[in-house]
Amino acid sequence: MSNEKLLETIQESIVKVDRDTAFQTVESALAQGMQAIEVIEKGLSPGMQKVGDLFERGELFLPQVMMAADLMTRIVQSLQDKMPPEQNTKNQGVVVIGTVEGDVHDIGKNIVKILLSVNGFEVHDLGRDALLNKFVEKAKEVNANIVASSALMTGTMQSQGDLEKLLKEAGIRDRVKTMVGGAPCTQYWADKIGANAYAENASEAVSKARELMAAR
Amino acid sequence: MAYKERMGDGRLIEMSKEEIRRDIEAGCNNAAERGKIPALSEDAQERLLDILTSPERVASVEPENTVVFSTDNGCHSLYGNFSEAGGVGIPIDSVTANMLMERALGFDSVFYGWLDFCFKAAKAVITQHQQELESILMNTVSPCIYGAMPNLGGYYKPDGPFDNVGDLMAEGKIMEGMEVYERLVDHAKEDIVWVSEQLTRVGIDCINIDTTGAAGDGDFLSSLKACEELKKQTGLSIEMGMASEFVMGIHGGLEYDGNVLAGMYPHKQVKMAEKAGVDIFGPVVNTNTRQSTPWNIARAITFTKECSRVANIPLHPNMGMGVGGLPMAEMPPVDAVTKASKAMVELAGVDGI
Repeated sequence: MSNEKLLETIQESIVKVDRDTAFQTVESALAQGMQAIEVIEKGLSPGMQKVGDLFERGELFLPQVMMAADLMTRIVQSLQDKMPPEQNTKNQGVVVIGTVEGDVHDIGKNIVKILLSVNGFEVHDLGRDALLNKFVEKAKEVNANIVASSALMTGTMQSQGDLEKLLKEAGIRDRVKTMVGGAPCTQYWADKIGANAYAENASEAVSKARELMAAR
Repeated sequence: MAYKERMGDGRLIEMSKEEIRRDIEAGCNNAAERGKIPALSEDAQERLLDILTSPERVASVEPENTVVFSTDNGCHSLYGNFSEAGGVGIPIDSVTANMLMERALGFDSVFYGWLDFCFKAAKAVITQHQQELESILMNTVSPCIYGAMPNLGGYYKPDGPFDNVGDLMAEGKIMEGMEVYERLVDHAKEDIVWVSEQLTRVGIDCINIDTTGAAGDGDFLSSLKACEELKKQTGLSIEMGMASEFVMGIHGGLEYDGNVLAGMYPHKQVKMAEKAGVDIFGPVVNTNTRQSTPWNIARAITFTKECSRVANIPLHPNMGMGVGGLPMAEMPPVDAVTKASKAMVELAGVDGI
């Protein structure tokens, strides 16, 4: 089987949560000389991103998303030992994430958390209705690279602007990048409040997080 | 020539006629692909283009196309002072507010709802509800609708007895999470039924089960089961307004009448509502803030038209902040609201809004 076909099969096995096929195809890929990092970046990650996209279209459901994430995590863990240290996918960056205070919507935020985690980010989740000072405290505690906030209502999204101010007042705004998301958020909103990035969905959150880390 | 249009977040932009036409086509096609339904015909798209490029700030319909309004917010927008409702914070009571809505503003229905707006919370203040509703009913003529949400999220700790299903699944306890979610359904159903029964005692005309499906497929199922029971026991009129264009699959396997609810789009949702005995169905199409209003309105009409085609009950699509093609803005702009409403009536053939 060609490398392209192997990678395609790995992607599909994540989407279908086909554990046996996933592990077997990964083994085949490695035996065929593919690097573990390539299997992760071109097979597993795209598969997981497709899972996120299908969930947001209503074609996959939450249990499947969770099982797919679990499968990918297990495979990535099994590959860690096969990668040279400089290619280790752990520690892509440290992210503090939460739904801002006054807002209890968290499903989308949880999907973002999962995708960031399986893509090698260390994620600290503050949960829903998270006080803004908790974002700041946690960012300091874990030496965060990215502070990501979610808001699902126009009334609560104002807190994302307040968070920018709090990070400045705490003296850490210069060393963290901020990302915003949620239904009422737009790139225009991110620019208005001075956030570094806006992500429309979970897949984009991963790519934007990587861009933010690369730009450091 | 440049036309003033808006983005999905309400910002004013300028677009050429050709750009608007392309966005209309793209919005239609997006809905067609997502819902596996027909796109609007070329004639319909051209008509939509005419409506959206008309110079009037406020659009309207011809007399034979007038429709009725029902509401999930109603008089709250007069005395409420909270941003999500675009409230103006006039210090009046709900009775006076409803009289204003009916007598001065010509609304087709009057409304009452608890500010917490969920059936579970309403239980604690039900006698207050009954007293206020009785006063509203004695001072108004139009049908009175009581609105509330199933809000399955209100049954998670600390507000309720159950562990959060999302948290359980994130911990790998997927089967446990699904079992907890299944148990939530009947709790929510019981509360919807009980609150509604208490309100029938003072003569409420209609219950609006609003944002149905906001907490996923179990949220939708609890509402459908509640409708069935209320219809059998009380004969109460029921309006069901959805929360999202598709039913989010928190469980993925919950069924109603042999149909899996997760992933359903409006044209499938309405058939479940009909089966349950719902009298008025309010489909929702979500606004994409990254796209233009022409894109969003075209998309909303495409979904709603198919829903209307298959429906045997009146449709009152939700049109407001972030739904029905309208911008996600606390006070959706009047040009977008009226043009979208005109298009929805003329092209989707809805019975109300």
